[in-house]
Amino acid sequence: MTLDLEAERALVERLKRRDEAAFNLFVRAYQAKVFSLVQRMLGNRAEAEDLAQEVFITVFRSIDSFRGDSRLGTWLYRVAINHCKNRIKYLDRRVTRGHDALDEEGSKALTEGGPVMSRPDRPDESMQGRELGTVIERALGLLEEDHRTLVVLRDLEGLSYEEIMTITGLPEGTVKSRLHRARAALRDAIERGLGCKLPE
Amino acid sequence: MLTDDEVRDLFSAYHDRELSPERSDAMRAALDANAELKREYSAFCRMLDGLSAMAAASEGPLADVSPPPAGALPPTVAAPPDAPSPDLLGGVQRRLQKRSGGKFYGDSWSRLAGILPLELIATLVLIALVVAYAAMTMVSTHPAPVPTIAPAPSR
Repeated sequence: MTLDLEAERALVERLKRRDEAAFNLFVRAYQAKVFSLVQRMLGNRAEAEDLAQEVFITVFRSIDSFRGDSRLGTWLYRVAINHCKNRIKYLDRRVTRGHDALDEEGSKALTEGGPVMSRPDRPDESMQGRELGTVIERALGLLEEDHRTLVVLRDLEGLSYEEIMTITGLPEGTVKSRLHRARAALRDAIERGLGCKLPE
Repeated sequence: MLTDDEVRDLFSAYHDRELSPERSDAMRAALDANAELKREYSAFCRMLDGLSAMAAASEGPLADVSPPPAGALPPTVAAPPDAPSPDLLGGVQRRLQKRSGGKFYGDSWSRLAGILPLELIATLVLIALVVAYAAMTMVSTHPAPVPTIAPAPSR
């Protein structure tokens, strides 16, 4: 759901008055986007569900700090990305990184071949069905957090460079060069997972 | 003429059509001249197409259903999420109710509890009980006077 500017402004005003009905509308409008973003960043559904709820609670509490310099959705993404970064750090510190798609076994399978991805005789055979989707998801999880953020925002969420600059606080040149490095790293991770070069 | 590393560094910009016409022509020429670079670029595009397919799949019925570009991964590659997005509203409301002490998303009782601290409510209830008990005790220690019946006048 995309609100026009006027409707968005009215919604923000109601949110600032802590209007519960408006907040319900806001959550329903953006929950799928937020959950999708958070799940892609964390790679774990349960963690994502928990964190996505925290994102909305943060919005409810801190909507007064939204000055309208960007669209509400962009600001929401920034809140979500900040939450994700903090959660990833927290999970990394706990070592028990709750990464369904990136647990030790899965990571091993990705880099060495294994039960999840046996090396095919013909590389293109590995590209069928959901297998490549799984490989990409796992490879995405192996990227550094900054790289993963850019690939998720640009290539999966389809945001513009301007929106990504607002969310990450990075200048345009840095976003573009870092995104290119992130894509190259993702391709390398996928090829390591496949055990061969990506087919043309 | 671009070097191989320069060509690789421009893969993203070339794919996203961000190069100037001159630069774009130079890229095209470099790719045509080097089969290995061309293969690398095709693989790079294939990966980005795979990401696009994943993005489109996760958008559900509102996703762009236009046919994929030539060379794009088959639609089955774009694995939809294992389960639909959960409804977060209930959980968000419960957390907000709990953390605000019932000020938000509470029923009338929890709203009152949010405004008045529980200790104060408990004290008020205790006072009310004491007053009620005292009133009942006072009534029982001062029994109502027994009405006296005046004797009937004798004739």
